[in-house]
Amino acid sequence: MVVSKMNKDAQMRAAINQKLMETGERERLRELLRAKLIECGWKDQLKAHCKEIIKEKGLEHVTVGDLVAEITPKGRALVPDSVKKELLQRIRTFLAQHASL
Amino acid sequence: MKMEEMSLSGLDNSKLEAIAQEIYADLVEDSCLGFCFEVHRAVKCGYFFLDDTDPDSMKDFEIVDQPGLDIFGQVFNQWKSKECVCPNCSRSIAASRFAPHLEKCLGMGRNSSRIANRRIANSNNMNKSESDQEDNDDINDNDWSYGSEKKGLWYLPFQNPNSPRRSKSLKHKNGKWGWSNGNYNNSTGISYETLGPEELRSLLTTVRGDLSSYPSLPCLPTRSLRCPQHTDEQRRTVRIYFLGPSAVLPEVESSLDNDSFDMTDSQALISRLQWDGSSDLSPSDSGSSKTSENQGWGLGTNSSESRKTKKKKSHLSLVGTASSLGSNKKKKPKPPAPPTPSIYDDIN
Repeated sequence: MVVSKMNKDAQMRAAINQKLMETGERERLRELLRAKLIECGWKDQLKAHCKEIIKEKGLEHVTVGDLVAEITPKGRALVPDSVKKELLQRIRTFLAQHASL
Repeated sequence: MKMEEMSLSGLDNSKLEAIAQEIYADLVEDSCLGFCFEVHRAVKCGYFFLDDTDPDSMKDFEIVDQPGLDIFGQVFNQWKSKECVCPNCSRSIAASRFAPHLEKCLGMGRNSSRIANRRIANSNNMNKSESDQEDNDDINDNDWSYGSEKKGLWYLPFQNPNSPRRSKSLKHKNGKWGWSNGNYNNSTGISYETLGPEELRSLLTTVRGDLSSYPSLPCLPTRSLRCPQHTDEQRRTVRIYFLGPSAVLPEVESSLDNDSFDMTDSQALISRLQWDGSSDLSPSDSGSSKTSENQGWGLGTNSSESRKTKKKKSHLSLVGTASSLGSNKKKKPKPPAPPTPSIYDDIN
């Protein structure tokens, strides 16, 4: 039962993701998020942080893995609450619309 | 798996919320990853640090936040009160008016060319109207050319130089009176025959009286009634000739017209200027002289007064003389006055 339930959830998520992709809602949401992050200055803040890291590590020795490991947690933390709330709202709306499906 | 089994309606809200959160997290991570790739590419391509400026420049261009200044630190209307010196006219002009002034001063720009064109047009018109009235002392042919004759060389207000009557007589008389000097053929000059006595009187009093200085041209009327070509002595001679020995040379130009006349003078004038009994008279003359008799000439005011006050002898004599002169026309071959000095004697 639990496995099936979990399977059901997994299936559910997979189905939702598929729906998102099919309708193009995922793209729209992503673009919306990017615009909002640039607007609020999140990108500039993160860039300044990057510069510091690169200056520490040296320009030549920067790798993608390093950057990702350093920046992603900071990035997640720096997202303003207003942006987060707005995005969540849109996702819920989408789910509500397609709930019957 | 069928779609009906996967309906979300069975799920509670917490799960929906969890799913929403997951979706959101995925989206944020996408954005972060995208950003990292951009930075890494910029570092590897070498343009990552290009938009940085050194701290010194950063201080220079710092945003200014003081009252009365803008963010660049400039005062608002600093240039309003300043004055510039114009390189063309060397005047001191306010800064805000400098550019329009320079445009006019140098003669560039649309408006200044328009103004200049208008001035040229106006000055052309002025020249045309002024040349006729000016003092034409020089015997320049242009004076009598076609261009100036349009307005009438003899500018007297009561005459229409372009009237058909005038032009006809002129054309007829041109050769006879010798006014054609080679240049003056089709002019709008005046024929004395067509003038009424009133017109003639004022003409003679306003025009320089010397007819003999220039062989074929009487002097033109000008703004100044004394022409420098002739002396007072010459004028006096002519006046005596026309008006009798009692003629007085007017001292002031403005006092010319009626002031110098009195009854005796008028009598002499009438006798001299009336061509009665002469066979040279054209019908128009007799007609004009007749009308002049009835109206009492240009001394019309005097004679009308004389009619009112019949007691005065002089008036009666005037009227009587006039009537006698008129009757002389028909009865006596000779006028009582000395032989009528035809003013055309000199000209002929």
